[in-house]
Amino acid sequence: MTAVTNHSRGRGRRPMIGWRLLSLVVVLVIVAVFLLPYLWMVSSGLKTQNDIFSDVAPFSWRAFVPVHGTLDNVVRLFTEKSIGRALVNSLIVAVIQVAGSLVVCSLAAYGLTRIKFKGRGVVFALILATFMLPAEALVVPMYSVVADLGLQDSLVAVALPWVASVFGLFLLKQSFEEIPTSLDEAARLDGAGHLRIFWSIILPNVKTALATLCLITFMFSWNAFLWPLIVVQTPEKQVVQVAIAQSVSAGELPDWGMTFAGAAVATVPLIVLFLFLQRFFVRGLATSGLR
Amino acid sequence: MASGGTALPRKAARTRGEGVQPSSRGTGTRARRLGRSSLRHNALPALGFLTPFLLLLLVFQYVPLVVMAKNSLYSFSLFNPDAGKFVGTDNFVRVFTDATALQSMLVTLLFTIGLLILVIPLSFLLAVYLNGKLAARALIRTMIFLPVVTSAVVVATLWTFLLNQSGLINSALGVLGIAPLGFLTDRNEALPALIVMSVWQQIGLAAVLFLGGLQSIPAELQEAAYTDGAGPVSRLRYLTIPLLSRTTLFVVVIMTVFALQAFAPAYIMTGGAPDGTTNLIIFQIYRTAFYLQQPGYASAMAVIVLIFALLVSLVQMRLLRTRWNY
Repeated sequence: MTAVTNHSRGRGRRPMIGWRLLSLVVVLVIVAVFLLPYLWMVSSGLKTQNDIFSDVAPFSWRAFVPVHGTLDNVVRLFTEKSIGRALVNSLIVAVIQVAGSLVVCSLAAYGLTRIKFKGRGVVFALILATFMLPAEALVVPMYSVVADLGLQDSLVAVALPWVASVFGLFLLKQSFEEIPTSLDEAARLDGAGHLRIFWSIILPNVKTALATLCLITFMFSWNAFLWPLIVVQTPEKQVVQVAIAQSVSAGELPDWGMTFAGAAVATVPLIVLFLFLQRFFVRGLATSGLR
Repeated sequence: MASGGTALPRKAARTRGEGVQPSSRGTGTRARRLGRSSLRHNALPALGFLTPFLLLLLVFQYVPLVVMAKNSLYSFSLFNPDAGKFVGTDNFVRVFTDATALQSMLVTLLFTIGLLILVIPLSFLLAVYLNGKLAARALIRTMIFLPVVTSAVVVATLWTFLLNQSGLINSALGVLGIAPLGFLTDRNEALPALIVMSVWQQIGLAAVLFLGGLQSIPAELQEAAYTDGAGPVSRLRYLTIPLLSRTTLFVVVIMTVFALQAFAPAYIMTGGAPDGTTNLIIFQIYRTAFYLQQPGYASAMAVIVLIFALLVSLVQMRLLRTRWNY
C-alpha cells in the first residue's frame, strides 16, 4: 500500500514519458491488430490471385496496398456470381425489417409507457422473458412455423420474425419515459386521442432513439446469417452474407481474390455508415445491454 | 386498485418539477374520480397499440418454443413432418450418450470459457485506457468497434484467410522466424484460434460497456480515495473493480450468450473439424436438423442450450440483486 502511494506521489517528468511511450505502443499495436486485417481484405480484393500470395509471403507492406490494382474480381462478382442480386435482396430484407420494427416497436412502447392498464406488468414480463432466449437455438422450430404459414423461401420470411424486436422496444421505452406525462395530459384536455398524442407529441420528441433503432436494426438485418441460410433455398433470393459464406465454405478451395472482394463489398456500406454515425451505433449497442 | 393508487402520486411527483402544478392537480382529481373503471377502460386502446408486437412475438417466439418442446419428444424428418413417432425422453437420453453431441457441448463450453477469460480482463484494461485523457482515444474506440459492426460471416471469412497456412498471420510469424502453423487444421490449435478471433470480434463491445460503467462512477469517489492516499493500483483494486461488478456480470452474460450462439466460425472456417474440436453446438443442431434430417433430436439439444442460457441469466439476476451498489 505505502509502496504504491509513494510511487504515485512521485509524479515527475520520467513516469510521464514512460506512460506516453507505453501509450504510443498500445496505439500502434491496436491499429495493427484491428486495421491491418481490413486493409488486407480490401486491397486483396483488388488483386489477382498470384499477387495476393506473392504480396503476403514474405511479409511486406505490399500486402496492404493494391500495387497493381485491378477491378477484375469486383466485375466478376457482379457478372458471374450475381452479387448485385444478393445485395438488393439484403437491402429489401433490411428495409422490411427496419420499417416493420419502427412501426411495431414504437406502437408497443407507447402502449407500455403512456397508457396505464391492468396487466401491464404481466405483458411486460412476457416480453422481457423472450429477451433471455438465444435466438439461434430456436431456428429449427421457427422454420416449421414459417413453413406452416406458407412463407418459406421468401424474403418476407427472412425479415418478419425479427420485426417484434425486444431490443427495439427497450430502446424506445427508455426515451418515451423521459417525456413528461404533463404533455399528454395537456393534449388530452384539448381533445386529442391516443393516436394523435402518439403521432404529434411523442414521436417528434424521440427522433434520436428512432434513428438509433433504424441503424441497429439495419445492422442486425444486414449481418444476419443462420436464419436466411435456413429459410431461403432459391439462389436468386439469397442474401449477401449467405452468398459470401457459400463461396468460402470449409473444405473447398476458394478463389481468394473474389472472396475478399465479396467480403469487402458486403462490409464497406455498413462501415461507412458506422464511421459517419458512430455515436448512434455505440449508444444503441450499449443500451441494448442495459435492459 | 393498488397499481392505480401508487401511480397517481408518482405522476404528481413527476409533473411537480415542470411548473404546471395547478393544471396537474385538476387532472389528478379527475383521474381519481374515474378510478378503477378508467384503468379497465384503458385496456382496450393499450391492447390496440400492443397487438402487432405481441402477435409477432407469439407467432415467432412463443409458438416455436412450444413446437420445440413438442418436437423434442418426437422422431421425424422435415420432409415428412406428419409421420412423427412419439419417443418420450429418448432424444434427451441420446444427447447424453452420443459422443458427438457430448463433445459438441464440451467444445462450446470451452469456447465460452476461453472467450470470457480473455475478453473480460482485456476489454476492462482497454476501457480504463479509453477513460484516461490520452491522445488517439477516439481513433482507438472507432478501431476496436469495427469488428462489432462487421458481420460474423465476413469476420469468419477474413480470419479463414488470416489463419491459412499461407495467410497473413503465418507470414508475420515468419518474420520472427516461426515456421507456419496449421491453426485451423491442427486439433490443438483450431479452437484456441477461434477463441482469439472471437476476442478480436467482441472486445470493442465489451470495452464500450465497461467504459459506460467507468464513466458512471462518481468522480468524487475517486477524488476521495486519492486524497486518502490510495494509489492508482489500490484505487483500481478496492474501488473501481468492486463498483463495476454489475457491469462485469452484464458483460459476462452478453459474451456467454454470444458464445453459445456462435455458428459462422464452425460453418465457414472448419466445418467442425479437425476431429470435431470446433463443432460448436448451434452448428451441430443445424447439421442434425437439416442434413441428418432429425429435427426431433436437434430440438432436444436446443432445449438443453436454452435451459443453460436461462440458468446463466437467472444466476446473473440473482447476483445483481445482492452485489454492491452505490
